[in-house]
Amino acid sequence: MTSYIIRRLFQLVIVLLGVTLITFTMLKLVPGDPARALAGKNATPQRIEYVRHERGLDRPFYVQYYKYLVALAHGDMGESLYTGRDVSEMVREAAPVTIQLAVAAVLIELLGIPLGVYSALRQYSFWDTTLTTGALILWGIPVFVLGYFAMYIFGLKLNWLPIGGVGDSVLWIIPSSWESFTYLILPALTLGLLGVAYISYMQRAAMLEVIRSDYIRTARAKGLSERKVIWGHGFKNAVIPVMTIAGIDLGALIGGAIITETVFNRPGIGLMIYHAIGARDVAVIAAGVLFATFFFVFANLLVDLGYAWVDPRVRLGD
Amino acid sequence: MDARKTDEVVEERAEDAGKPLGLWADTWRRLQRNRVALVGLGIILVFLCVGTVELVFYQAHWHVRSSADTRAVGNRAPGYLAPYDPNEVNYALTPIGVGSPPSWSHPFGTDYLGRDVLSRTLVATRIALLVGIIAVAIALTLGLILGPVSGYYGGAIDSVVMRIADIFFAFPYILFVLLIMSVLGAGFQNVFIAIGVLGWATFARISRGQVLSVKSMEYVEAARAQGAGDVRIIFRHVLPNSMAPVYVAVAMGIGGAIATEAALSYLGIGVQPPNASWGLMIAESVGYLAAGNWWWLLFPSLALVATVFGFISFGNGLRDATDPKLKE
Repeated sequence: MTSYIIRRLFQLVIVLLGVTLITFTMLKLVPGDPARALAGKNATPQRIEYVRHERGLDRPFYVQYYKYLVALAHGDMGESLYTGRDVSEMVREAAPVTIQLAVAAVLIELLGIPLGVYSALRQYSFWDTTLTTGALILWGIPVFVLGYFAMYIFGLKLNWLPIGGVGDSVLWIIPSSWESFTYLILPALTLGLLGVAYISYMQRAAMLEVIRSDYIRTARAKGLSERKVIWGHGFKNAVIPVMTIAGIDLGALIGGAIITETVFNRPGIGLMIYHAIGARDVAVIAAGVLFATFFFVFANLLVDLGYAWVDPRVRLGD
Repeated sequence: MDARKTDEVVEERAEDAGKPLGLWADTWRRLQRNRVALVGLGIILVFLCVGTVELVFYQAHWHVRSSADTRAVGNRAPGYLAPYDPNEVNYALTPIGVGSPPSWSHPFGTDYLGRDVLSRTLVATRIALLVGIIAVAIALTLGLILGPVSGYYGGAIDSVVMRIADIFFAFPYILFVLLIMSVLGAGFQNVFIAIGVLGWATFARISRGQVLSVKSMEYVEAARAQGAGDVRIIFRHVLPNSMAPVYVAVAMGIGGAIATEAALSYLGIGVQPPNASWGLMIAESVGYLAAGNWWWLLFPSLALVATVFGFISFGNGLRDATDPKLKE
């Protein structure tokens, strides 16, 4: 296990270096001269050159990249070229709102596991066909479309739930009252439902493959009760690959959370990026993307380590 | 039972065994049993037809329409799919600036500028079709060069290409596209580039895996023994025998590209007004939702969801139909 962890951490370092290299390159590719922008509107050429030198913008690319990495390691993501605000501070304020939504959606998403198992055990039944078709349709619905329909029906027409904003929380992400919880319901359901569709579809496929395998036949042949066969032998093996898929799908979920925030006006990373798009404030966009990517990469690391811990074939193989 | 009959049966069997169904005939036979996939295929065909007609006739059609004969035919344009000019502003049709609900002359209603939502929804098919095809073509070309080459040669090339692919996969996809778009700037062509260039890793990974599983087979060795070069072996012998998962990824990829374009246009960084794109129409409609303008949100959404569903369900059906593990 230790060697697997070391190998996996080594991989992680390469991925993080690559990710930061790409975001840094994007920052450098933005049209316009950052020194001129930082120096202000009526700056003299001398002043611009001074700012360029002072900020290290005249140093070679790799030196600037190195300084960018060092700053990142200290939690410094630079400042917005548009508002001049400290980007790290903006990210720190917005992050809990996004993480709250993502966690709530993941919890809803897990409902896909029992649904998928149920579908697989009754393959081609009425409920299986309904669930599978429903999952495929949901899978194809862009999150903002579902979000606006949910908002139109439950927020505007029925007036049951708030159509936007965010409530107070305690302990970073836990809603502090029923009222602040209601702000979370529509966005979390919107995002979670799409995940349920995907997970239940995958769980069904995994379960179908497992219950056709030889060891299930053996388990039946030696006279185990159907419940033991399905849950003790089948489900255990069918749920592991789905956890990995759920980990990979977390990327789509984070992307979805970003867009869901623009629908329900939740002041998280997504709304921060959305406002930055309007101003073409690449420093803020890159910081938001970097935050979401780090979150995704570390969550995946945890899923993979968990997978390797449960299933020795993973850590001993390749 | 007389001898002749037995012979016939034996002959028939021999014929069956001698002429197995080809890969695609077999796939089609199995696909036909999957009703959801067939619905998907039907949607794809309708989408392709509408998109092609709009793509080919759009310019010519509205160019003629805007000249003198417009008055001669009234507001009804003969022949083509979109009944009105998609960009024609008509304030009479939006009395209080929030559009008007569906009616016989405007079955999908009109938007805040009095533009016909049906015409805009139809014309937007053009952009979806272009994005689906061009973006996936770019991704596929890059992926089908890098993937097979890295799988075939292995070693350092393989490590480097696959580590780069890992880095591309580390980003949540839509955010990566957003980042690229924010540097390239909003606009139609940049959407193709961003979606296309970021999509290569998927195709590279799949085709690499396929090449790995095929490259040690005997017929590849036979080709090499006959003196075939690496390029010929990869693209002539190995790839054609390992394309099924790639086709599945193409179907899914087109659906994904269309959904991504919609998301980008919704966020204001994709297709720009006054052009019609489903995502942009949705974005334009939502500010008026409180005024009860459901039609303006509903119809482009339906077109978008149906199209993406079509590609995903067909792709899924294709995967099941070509998966040897699921063969009975």
